[in-house]
Amino acid sequence: MPSSTSNFKRKLQLPRLFFRKPSQLERVHGGPPLEYERPIPEVPWRGITVVVVLIVIAATCAWEFYCRSIGYGPTLNDNEDLWTMARRGVKPESVVIIGDSRAWFDLDLDELQKGLSKRPVQLAMGGSCAYPVLADLANDENFHGTIICSIVPRLFVAPPGTPPMERTEKAVRRSHTQTPAQRVSQYLAMPLEEHVAFLKQEELTLDDLLKRLPIPNRPYALVSPRLPPYFGTLDRERRARMIEECARPGSELQRRIQQIWLPLFTPPPPPTYIPKEEFGKKMGAAIEARFHDVAMAVKKLRARGGKIVFVRFPHSGELKELEDRETPRRGIWDRVIKETGAPGIYYEDYPELSGFNCPEWSHLSAGDSVEFSKRLVPHLRKALQM
Amino acid sequence: MLFNSLTFVVFFVVVVTAYWSIRSWNARKNLLVGASYIFYGAWNPPFAALLFSTTAMDFWLGRQIAKAEGRHSRRVWLVGSVCMNLSMLGFFKYGNFLLQNFQWLLARIGIIYQPPHLDILLPVGISFYTFHSLSYTLDIYRGVLKPTKSLRDFILAVSFFPQLVAGPIVRAGDFLPQLVRPSSLRAGQFLWGLLLMTLGLFEKIVLADTMLSGSADRIFSYAGPLVALDSWLGVMAFAGQIFFDFAGYSTCAIGAALCLGFHLKDNFRFPYAAIGFSDFWRRWHISLSTFLRDYLYIPLGGNQVRPVRAATNLVIVMFLGGLWHGAAWTFVVWGLLHGSYLVVERVVRALLENKDWANNLATRLFAGFATYAAVCIAWVFFRASDFTVAARMLHGMFGGHAHGDAILTTREMLQIVLVTAGMILVHWTLRDSNIETAVMRLPRWIVTTAWALMACAIILTQGSSNAFIYFQF
Repeated sequence: MPSSTSNFKRKLQLPRLFFRKPSQLERVHGGPPLEYERPIPEVPWRGITVVVVLIVIAATCAWEFYCRSIGYGPTLNDNEDLWTMARRGVKPESVVIIGDSRAWFDLDLDELQKGLSKRPVQLAMGGSCAYPVLADLANDENFHGTIICSIVPRLFVAPPGTPPMERTEKAVRRSHTQTPAQRVSQYLAMPLEEHVAFLKQEELTLDDLLKRLPIPNRPYALVSPRLPPYFGTLDRERRARMIEECARPGSELQRRIQQIWLPLFTPPPPPTYIPKEEFGKKMGAAIEARFHDVAMAVKKLRARGGKIVFVRFPHSGELKELEDRETPRRGIWDRVIKETGAPGIYYEDYPELSGFNCPEWSHLSAGDSVEFSKRLVPHLRKALQM
Repeated sequence: MLFNSLTFVVFFVVVVTAYWSIRSWNARKNLLVGASYIFYGAWNPPFAALLFSTTAMDFWLGRQIAKAEGRHSRRVWLVGSVCMNLSMLGFFKYGNFLLQNFQWLLARIGIIYQPPHLDILLPVGISFYTFHSLSYTLDIYRGVLKPTKSLRDFILAVSFFPQLVAGPIVRAGDFLPQLVRPSSLRAGQFLWGLLLMTLGLFEKIVLADTMLSGSADRIFSYAGPLVALDSWLGVMAFAGQIFFDFAGYSTCAIGAALCLGFHLKDNFRFPYAAIGFSDFWRRWHISLSTFLRDYLYIPLGGNQVRPVRAATNLVIVMFLGGLWHGAAWTFVVWGLLHGSYLVVERVVRALLENKDWANNLATRLFAGFATYAAVCIAWVFFRASDFTVAARMLHGMFGGHAHGDAILTTREMLQIVLVTAGMILVHWTLRDSNIETAVMRLPRWIVTTAWALMACAIILTQGSSNAFIYFQF
């Protein structure tokens, strides 16, 4: 008679407890039965498929018409693959525009081409920090062209790990690692985005629509600030132009965007888990490091014969008051110019550049961008000794 | 090429149209080989050469094993195949990891060694196709499979594009027989395949990426202390995300294969309805767990050894299973945790075997709940970038941060709770059934509406989706 101990051991050995022993059939064929076939549900597939296709087509068309009816129009999405396309167009002696959305909306490539004799490559990105692109170009041994770099102080000194840095870093990384499949997908996506209004990757996706649900939050929930809605179009050269509805004085869209800029440009409170002083020190160190890194990148670029000019673009209204208060000129702009020794064009220094009004406080209208670019060209030529 | 990309949509339409337009079976197989290499090369063309060389070597080694007379020489050829495959995997996947650990060990004995950082690009899906290929030589050695005479067929078995980069791990023994006769379509098979692809994409793009991944990322990347509610919700979000991500890929793969007339087995069977960890591993990543069972656990002695040895074997298997997922100690701890769970479960089951109450509904539900909770705890190590993050998460989950931060928005919390509850409900409803039976039983209008809704939701996400998590493995 087996003892209780051996009985217990026998129980432990029961093969059904884990990884059961394979059947003879499974052993012979190294796994499943040789003639394994998946079951196919017996339902009227053709009828179901026809109805599904009709519903999907109808729903898609209805969504497209709805989006157009509330003001959306077709435009390209500014993603890292479109940026990579533009980056690939940078030649050794190109004029390259980098920085934030002000360089994107306020510069007209045709006017710059007329004035600088070269068509610039537009590498600025909305809501982004210029540094990773500057570093990438500085490290590109083939490049010895000219950089026009926009500075919005809060974005320019955004520390690593923040959205403005991550956005640019992602694009730069993609330009070095883009796979053939990603490249083809971009070429396939562009004709669709140029004709379908609801294809807006940062606004009309399911995720964005869910984020807009008016659900109250707990007091300390970390809610990302809202980004402005669709107010500009983008073409294959990544030229951005403000839509008319946004430029129309007193429009509802304009007012909404103005109210979105203010929280977006207001410094967020420090995290609760770091003492304020320590956080302040960390941020100060990160900003100092950025000045140093930018200076090094500029030095490297210039050593190869490259040129750079920093530009502060117009902004207006309460947003200007906020920026002047939070990031005064002497704080970041002056330091960048001093540390790098590069020329800078601060729009307020020149009457011909400072008379522009930004409809939604941050960017110029499409018409004004042409005039502003025309007036900017002589300053660029002088700063760059062209 | 990602399933959730426009490139794949065009690629798949072209391949399927061409495939069914061709009459010759050989030409069809040639087309699939070409398509599979284009699919793979679309990531990084040079790695297609690596895939080919691994495949060709195993084809040759398989023949040598079959030809060899005597156990010793068969074993030598097998060892050659195992070493070739594992050294490839080791170099690309574990090179830097091994160097870092070597450096750490030397530092313990006072030797300062600064190894060069190897700038190694991990070939996508190497863990999967290495196992596809390795199963061939292992099965020939075991005498359960005869070597194929066609290199082209073997290349197709290893590189068949639906399962090439993220599984299921389809063994050559499963696939090669399907290449003998021309594949054909049964009534409804193609459309059922399309529905499965829609379901898989819906799981990945909508449920994993849109509903859950953002919250999981926010919680796991938050550098401060979190309250228990947010910590648990973050882990539950990841538990759902990884299931929908990986099961979504497998479902797409099964659907795509069906459209081409091939049959792949299930890789998931409603794992969050598992009662116990052995049950969980019969339901989660089945192709990996059966691979480890047949080629590692059973050769180690399986259950036919003393309990302590069997328990050790389990832990060894799960340790290697953890390491297979990634070159980091957090994956190892994840594997060891599961190994420990399995050992404890054996003991508990042995103790409770004759107890009537052990099988009543309340106990089963409790056991199911406990399994889910324990699996979630293990996921912390799987998802955390390092042990500091894992420790902070566990501390938060067990109330260690009474005054921690509550960062999730109400919308995120609702999404996690609703998706998780829906997922667990579906898993428990179908735990002893399958999706095909469910579709047969449901009213037609529900199937139609569900398919249409899934397709509309996929369109609404606009492809703003991430790569599949398992690509990195």
